[in-house]
Amino acid sequence: MQNLKKSGISIDVSGLRVSYDGNVVLDGLDWRAERGEGWKICGKSGTGKTSLLKAVAGKIKFGGKVELKFYDDTEMPSEAYYVDNWYRFESLDGDKNFYYQQRYNKQEENETLTVYAELMRFGRERGLDYRRAEPLLEKFGFMDCRHRQLLELSSGEHKKLQLVCALWLRPQILLLDEPYVGLDKLSRKNLNELLDALIGEGATVAMVTNDPELPGRVRRYAKIEGGKLVEVDRNCSEDSVEPILIKPVPYFLQKSPKIDSPDMLTLKNVTVRYGQKTVLHDISWSVKAGQKWLLQGRNGSGKSTLLSLLDGDHPQAYSSDISLFGRKRGSGESIWDIKEKIGIISPELHWYFDPNATVWNSVASGLKDTIGWFLDVSYDEQKQIESVLDFFGLLDVSNRLLSKLPLGKQRLALLARVIVKNPQLMILDEPCQGLDTAQTRLFNDILDAISPFGKTLIYVGHYETQLPKCLDHKLELDQGRVIYNGSI
Amino acid sequence: MNYFNTLSLREKLRQLHQADLMDRSEFNDGVEALKGKKIVIIGCGAQGLNQGLNLRDSGLDVSYALRQSAIDEKRDSWKNATNNNFKVGTYEELIPTADLVINLTPDKQHSKVIAAAMPLMKHGAALSYSHGFNIVEEGMQIRKDITVIMVAPKCPGTEVRAEYLRGFGVPSLAAVHPDNDPEGKGWAYAKAYCVALGSHKAGVLKSSFVAEVKSDLMGEQTILCGLLQTASLLSFDRMVENGIEPSYASKLVQYGVDVISEALKHGGVSGMMDRLSNPAKIKAFELSEELKNIMRPLFRKHQDDIMSGEFSRVMMEDWKDGDKKLLTWRAQTRQTPFENTPAGDMKISEQEYFDNYLLLSAFIRAGVELAFETMCEAGIQPASAYYESLHEVPLIANTIARRKLYEMNRVISDTAEYGNYLFYNACAPLLADFMKKIGPELAGKNYNEGKDGSVDNSLLVRVNEALRDHPVEIIGRKLRKYMTAMRPIKTA
Repeated sequence: MQNLKKSGISIDVSGLRVSYDGNVVLDGLDWRAERGEGWKICGKSGTGKTSLLKAVAGKIKFGGKVELKFYDDTEMPSEAYYVDNWYRFESLDGDKNFYYQQRYNKQEENETLTVYAELMRFGRERGLDYRRAEPLLEKFGFMDCRHRQLLELSSGEHKKLQLVCALWLRPQILLLDEPYVGLDKLSRKNLNELLDALIGEGATVAMVTNDPELPGRVRRYAKIEGGKLVEVDRNCSEDSVEPILIKPVPYFLQKSPKIDSPDMLTLKNVTVRYGQKTVLHDISWSVKAGQKWLLQGRNGSGKSTLLSLLDGDHPQAYSSDISLFGRKRGSGESIWDIKEKIGIISPELHWYFDPNATVWNSVASGLKDTIGWFLDVSYDEQKQIESVLDFFGLLDVSNRLLSKLPLGKQRLALLARVIVKNPQLMILDEPCQGLDTAQTRLFNDILDAISPFGKTLIYVGHYETQLPKCLDHKLELDQGRVIYNGSI
Repeated sequence: MNYFNTLSLREKLRQLHQADLMDRSEFNDGVEALKGKKIVIIGCGAQGLNQGLNLRDSGLDVSYALRQSAIDEKRDSWKNATNNNFKVGTYEELIPTADLVINLTPDKQHSKVIAAAMPLMKHGAALSYSHGFNIVEEGMQIRKDITVIMVAPKCPGTEVRAEYLRGFGVPSLAAVHPDNDPEGKGWAYAKAYCVALGSHKAGVLKSSFVAEVKSDLMGEQTILCGLLQTASLLSFDRMVENGIEPSYASKLVQYGVDVISEALKHGGVSGMMDRLSNPAKIKAFELSEELKNIMRPLFRKHQDDIMSGEFSRVMMEDWKDGDKKLLTWRAQTRQTPFENTPAGDMKISEQEYFDNYLLLSAFIRAGVELAFETMCEAGIQPASAYYESLHEVPLIANTIARRKLYEMNRVISDTAEYGNYLFYNACAPLLADFMKKIGPELAGKNYNEGKDGSVDNSLLVRVNEALRDHPVEIIGRKLRKYMTAMRPIKTA
C-alpha cells in the first residue's frame, strides 16, 4: 500500500455548541484534524461523542463553526461520511415500521431489499464500481448473503454491511460511531487492516469507541470533558474507568428464583433451515439450573437463532425436540408462559424497543414481558423496580424517555429490565454493546455479585476480556454446528 | 336471501344496537375454551398467517387448510404456512378433524369456501368469520349443529402480529350468530379467540354480525376510502389549477393524509384541528360545516342502500358480471393526474402539511362526523360507529402514503373498493362548485401567511366546543383509553 505524503487541514471545528433535549452537550468545542490522521474519541457514555461526529457530518443542528476541507489531488470522493452506531433500514414501502423478532416470521412477499439490492442502490447513488465492493464482501464473510433480506440479518451483519458501504465509498473524511459493536474478533481485525489502508491513502478517520485494539494508524486520542475536546497522549480506554461504588445487591435479588425444573433447557438434535440454507445443524444442548453459560461464535454462526428458540420467538421451535423449564415445546404452553421465566436483552430487543417508553416503564415492562409497559404493577413490584433503578444509578432519569438517553444509559436500563423480576434464566445477548468500559465493568460485577444466589444465565460476548467471572460452561458454534460444549 | 331483511324490525334493531365494550374481567378464563381443540384456518394471507402465529404462540393447536391447487402449485399461502412450520393439508384432510374452522379468505370467496367446507365439518364444530357479509348480505345458511362466531381485528395482519409480540394487541369486534349457537358455547370460543390474539388488552367490542356488516360497509365506502379518494383527487386537481407546482401538490396530498390522520388517531378530531393555528382552525371548521351540508344526503343514501341490501345486491350483480364495473372504475382511478404525478423530493415538515393543506383537515372532520352521525341515525351504536369511522382513517391513510390510491385500492377488500368508487363517482360532481372556491391558501400554500393570527375569541370558544363535544369525540376518548399503548403507525 502506497503511503502518499499528503498534508493539510481536514476537519476544523471551533466553538462548537450542541444541545440535545434541552441540555447543553457540546459547549465551545475546538478540534483540528489533519489529512491522513486517525483519531479515537473515547470516554464515558453521554459526554457528547456521537453529537460531535454528527455535527461534523452535518447531521444535526449546531452553533459555532465546522469547516471541512477536501482536496482534489485524490480520487477519493469529497465527502464526510458518517456511519451511524445503529443500522437503519427501510421497508420496500419506505417506512421503518418493523417489529421485534419479525425476522423469524416468514412472509412470502419480501419486506425489505436484499443485501445485494441495497448495495446496488448505494453504489448507483454514488457512482461506485461494484467490483471494488466484492473483496470487501468476501473479507466480511458476506458472499453467501447476497440473496438475504436486510430484515433477516443479525445485528453484527448489519454493522458489517454499514462498514462495507463506507469502505467501498472511500470518503476523504470517515466518521465512525462505535464501529466495532457486534463484530466478532476476526472481523474487528479485518476492519482495522482496511482502515489502516484507508488512512494510508490520505483519508481522515475519526472513530468513537472504547475499544483498545485500534488500527495502527489511529494515533491521536481524545475525550470530551465539560463539552470540550481534551486530547490525551495515549490510548485512553482505561483512563476513563472511574472507581465504581457498587451498592448492596437489592434484597429480592439475594433470593434464589423459583425453579420449575432442574433441567432448565434441553435441546435434542435441533436443526433449523430456511429453504436450502441450514442455520443450525443438529444441536444438542442441555442447561441445568444454576449453570452460567458462555455462548460464543462468529457473526452469523447461529447464536441469535439458537437463543430465539429458547425465548419462544422462533416458529421452528414447534417442530423441534426442545424442552423448556421441564415442559416440551408445543405442548399447549404460550410464549408468555415461557417469557415469564426469562429475563432477556439482545441488540434486537433494544433496536425494536418502544421509543415512547420512559425509563421507569421500560424497567417495569420486564415484569410483564412487554416491550414498553401497559399494566398496573403491585406495591411490591413497584418497590422492586425502584430498588433496581437505584442499583443501576438510574433513579434520577426514571421519568425520561428511554430513547432520548445516551446509548449506554439505555442499555443499563434494559439490563435493569432483565433482572427486575429475578428470572429463572437470564439470556444476555451481547449485553454490554454500547456501554463504556466503566459501565461494562459495573454490569459484569453486578452479574458476579448476584450469580451466587441460584441464578442461571446464558451470556453472549465477543470480547474475552470483558466477560463476567462467574461463567462456568461454554457452548461454541461455528457455521451452525457445535464445536465445544462443556465446562470452562 | 339477505338475512337482515328476513328479520322483524324489532330484531333488526336489537342486533344493530349490539355494541358493548367488554370488561377485562370477562376474559379471566384466558384461552381455556380453545385449549387442546383443533383449530383449522382456511386461507393464509396477511390476516390468516398473522392470526395463526398469534393463536399458536398462545398455546393453541393451529393448522391450515388450503385448496389442493394452492398446495400443488406451492402458492404464497402454502409457503407462508409451511415456512412457519405449520401443518398444511387439503380441506378433506383437515376440516373433518377441526373443532373450530376459521375462515380468513377474501369476502368474495366466502360462499364457495363455506359451501366446500361445511359438509366436511364434524357435528358440533364451530365456524368463525372475520366479516359478516356472507352471513348477513348473502344470507348463507349454516348447518344448525355448527356454532357460528365472528372475531374481527380492526387492524391489518402485520399489526395484529406486531402488537401481540410487544405484549399488547389490537382492538377487535366479536359476535356470535344468534341463529347458530346450538350449545351456547359461542361466546366462550369468541372470547378465548380474542385473548389468543391479544385483543382483550386493547378492547373487544361485543357486536353482532348485523352491526358489524352495516357499519363496516358504511365506514369503508364513505369516510375511509371514498372520502379520502375524493379529497385526494379533487385537492390535487385544484392545486394544479391554482398554479401550485404539481410535484409539490402530489407530495402534499400523498403524505399529508398520513401525517394529518396520525394526529386524529391520538387526539381525535379536536386533536387534529388543534394542530392548526386559531384562524386556520376557524376556517377549516367553516369549510367542514359547508362540506357536511353538501355531502350529508350522499352519506345518507349510502347508509340507506346498505341497510336495505340494495348496495350488496348491485355489487353482487357486478360479481356475476365478471367485475365489469369494478375493473372499469379501477382503471379510471389509475389514469387520474394525481396517480400519475410522482411526489417531488422537496422536504415538507410535519407542521407544513397542516398549514399548507388546511382543506384536508376540513374534509376529514366533515367525513368522520358525517359517517358517525349517519351510522348513529340508522341505529348503529357510537362504539361501533367509532371503530368503523375515525379509528380506521389512519390505517387507510397509511396505504395512500405508501403508493397512492393504487395501494389503497389494492390493500382494501373488493367490497370496499367497489363502494369507494361508487362514492367517489357521486361525490366528485357534488363538490364541483365548492372546489371552485378553493384558493391556494387553503391547499398548497400556508394559510397563516400575511395574517396576524387574531381571531374573535367567542367564535373560537364556540368552535372548540362544537369540536370537543361532538359524540364521536366523547366515545373516542373512552375507547382510546383502552389503547393507551398505541404506537405511532410509522416512525419515519
